[in-house]
Amino acid sequence: MKNGKLLIAPSMLWLGIFFIVPMLIVVAVSFAARTPYGQVVFNWNINNYLRFLEPLYLSIFAQTLLVALVTTVATILMGYPLAYYIAQLPKRWQQPGLILCMIPFWINFLIRSYAWVIILRAQGVLNTLLLKLGFIDQPLQLLYNEGAVMLGMIYSLLPFMILPIYVSIEQLDRRLLEAASDLGAAPFTAFRKITLPLTMPGVAAGTILVFISSLGMFVVPDVMGGAKSALVGNLIQNQFLSARDWPFGSALSIVLAALSLLLIILYYRAIQAQNGGAENAKNMA
Amino acid sequence: MQKTWRSHVLLAYSLAILAFLYVPLVILAMYSFNDSRINAVWTGFTFRWYEQLFNNRRVLEALINTLIIGFASTVVSTTLGTIAAIALHRYKFKMQSVINGLVYLPILIPEIVMGLSLLVLFSQAHVPLGKGSLILAHITFCLSFVVITVGARLDGMRSDYEQAASDLYATPWQCFRYITLPLIMPGIVAGALIAFTLSIDDFVISFFVAGPNSTTLPLYIYAMVKRGISPEINALSTLMMAVEIILVLLAEFLQPSHKAKADN
Amino acid sequence: MKKLTLMLLLVVCFTFVLTGCGGGGGEKKTDAPKDPGKKAEAQVLNIYSWADYFDPQVLAQFEKANNCRVNYDVYSNNEELLAKMQAGGAQFDIIQPSDYMVTTMIHLNMLEKLDHSKLPNVQANLIESLQHPAYDPKQEYAIPYVWGITGIAYNKKYVKDPITSWNDLWKPEYKGHIILLNDNREVFSLALKKLGKSNNSTDPKDVEAAFNELKKLNPNVLAYDTENNKQKMIAEEAWIAHMWSGDASFCNFDNPSIEFCVPKEGTLIWADNMAIPKGAKNKELAMKFLNYIYDPQVSAQNFNYIRVPNANAKAIPLQKKEVVESPILKAANSQAGKGEWLHDIGNAITMYDKYWTELKTGK
Repeated sequence: MKNGKLLIAPSMLWLGIFFIVPMLIVVAVSFAARTPYGQVVFNWNINNYLRFLEPLYLSIFAQTLLVALVTTVATILMGYPLAYYIAQLPKRWQQPGLILCMIPFWINFLIRSYAWVIILRAQGVLNTLLLKLGFIDQPLQLLYNEGAVMLGMIYSLLPFMILPIYVSIEQLDRRLLEAASDLGAAPFTAFRKITLPLTMPGVAAGTILVFISSLGMFVVPDVMGGAKSALVGNLIQNQFLSARDWPFGSALSIVLAALSLLLIILYYRAIQAQNGGAENAKNMA
Repeated sequence: MQKTWRSHVLLAYSLAILAFLYVPLVILAMYSFNDSRINAVWTGFTFRWYEQLFNNRRVLEALINTLIIGFASTVVSTTLGTIAAIALHRYKFKMQSVINGLVYLPILIPEIVMGLSLLVLFSQAHVPLGKGSLILAHITFCLSFVVITVGARLDGMRSDYEQAASDLYATPWQCFRYITLPLIMPGIVAGALIAFTLSIDDFVISFFVAGPNSTTLPLYIYAMVKRGISPEINALSTLMMAVEIILVLLAEFLQPSHKAKADN
Repeated sequence: MKKLTLMLLLVVCFTFVLTGCGGGGGEKKTDAPKDPGKKAEAQVLNIYSWADYFDPQVLAQFEKANNCRVNYDVYSNNEELLAKMQAGGAQFDIIQPSDYMVTTMIHLNMLEKLDHSKLPNVQANLIESLQHPAYDPKQEYAIPYVWGITGIAYNKKYVKDPITSWNDLWKPEYKGHIILLNDNREVFSLALKKLGKSNNSTDPKDVEAAFNELKKLNPNVLAYDTENNKQKMIAEEAWIAHMWSGDASFCNFDNPSIEFCVPKEGTLIWADNMAIPKGAKNKELAMKFLNYIYDPQVSAQNFNYIRVPNANAKAIPLQKKEVVESPILKAANSQAGKGEWLHDIGNAITMYDKYWTELKTGK
């Protein structure tokens, strides 16, 4: 099957040219320093990496990881049921159903965020409604805080969870579930022991996509969070723009990438350990 | 599916999430008829933003650019990504972990870093900036998403179908065309949808690798933010939404009915 | 497959219809480049600027008069412009850096020197306070185009005592009702001015003192926002905003309870400038454009559309009354002397950025 292995070549070539080469530039710059006017001078030092170890920056990374974690869990809780629902629709309605889920995401994210601002602000739709119905007597502060940032992140990343999970659920063999119920399993047990393990690839893929994407987000903290928080995305953005410190920004990006890669490897190891059971279930049917 | 209370709860929950997705769009559509230039308060009903939209050459050019770049990068990245996912699934490579890592890296790198480094690459290699450079950049970051999505589908696929086919003397190509491809098609479609979504909403990378006269819609909108986004954009979005929904429904009704029966 | 092809065809048709209408509407005045009978190579002028900074009619008239095509691409942030140009993306003929960015670009040798003998409309027409800005006193490289003063906009309905000083922002009754600009130099400028220092100070003690003041201000801040502060003020989400004079005038137009004040301790004056990047392909056409845009009639028409403070003194009397007679603009412009220009502060920006990050993390 030697020829078959060459299938990987086109993508590797593409990434080699358009990704690896630029990344080598980034790595090189991360060992450089900035001039007074913001240019890069290659004097080969590890100051930028040492700077990352300062408490201020470490705390920003920690905060970002937390927000990303919460966002990921929330998208799983919201995305899985929706994906499941679409997957059990009659076949001809599945693709239209998916596309109807995607249409909101084909409208520019920024203007959708502004729509959220119109809904959530103190004189917005939601507060006006709640006030009129008498549930509250002061408008709630729903924007420009961490909750709003997470709402924005969930809102922008939901499709990256829904689609991979749908893909896994759709290929689930229904007969396995029928067999389980014939053998007397309660629906929830069948879900826990058959559906969930067999759809793990989809959940894993979605988790990776959402978690990683949320680590780098900077627009949401600015628009929904009132720019009052500094997450890693904003920090790196600042280094390339207002601080004009490309070397530090590059170093931060490399650290972020390395950290994320580490987390992915650990995550997959954990999944595979759990999925020993699922492999058996799959092969028995 | 049985009409148990469970299925009702699932339906209600799904509709709630769907509402969550669509509510901002409804607000957006309402404000496209708002008489104020700034989306602050409601001042009156008007169609003038729709009129202005049709006279705004630049926003329409941006829309065309976005769609062209979106379709082109989706097609190429889905193709390349699917092939790569299949190769990774089928064969054990010597540098398996390196290749896996390489596939994940484009998602892990912040967009501004990718955008700037690509720009440095293009300018050193004297690649002219324009729609072409945008497409090249978009394909690069969409590729990983497709590989991961199609990979998830392949991971969940039962290996006995392919084995049965090769036992029956099917060539690898036949095995791919008649067994694997149909089985992973939902994964490919999902990957394509993700790639398209990423491409038409990309701002940061596009900003750096765009050339003169290749402004995309996100670039146009982000730049407008400083001066206040004109409701023309709301009008454009409302129209886009309406067209997309109509297309989906139309495509459904144009589907031959015998296929529908066979699916059921 | 048929379904997919049909859908694609419909999408393509729709977009062509849309652009057909748009093309027809917008290109009524620019038939020149498409006419095969005329000269073979129609020239192209690439403008890279802030959004909504030119009246489309003004550009169209230039296209017709010079048998060329004008491309107007946009950016939203000076640093993005700089980063793009530094990474090699300089394919534009006209750019619009702000004041301190001009200093940086001159130092990095990124701008073409301007030959004012070819620009009769420019230096003769500039308003007095902008004739010798600190970053380029003789307009050798950049010409002020749009300018403004940073001050405090406040809503009379909620703010009973009129605001006169930066100190007023710190009052506890304004908790959660203030918006500041999302720009580290601007925000530090207000704190430095409150302490009576220069907003270009590189003295670590000054900057640290300013940072401590800002930390105390944080509880009063609803959000940091440069782009949507107008909406927030008009919709009365916030009572007070750290804002530019042009934007305050805009707010007042939509919501008459909004007033503006230039604080007595002094503030920041800024300008967006027209400049030609080094190595621009169409330098001559760019020079023609610069001269054209500063013609008083053209400038008046242009600024009637974009409605921001005009740097062109001769054009102001020709503009529509309601645009230039705004009381806020008049008041702000008369106090231009209180403004200090921003310079590029070299390595000190790293110190500012560290404090800015700390301020944002709320620690």
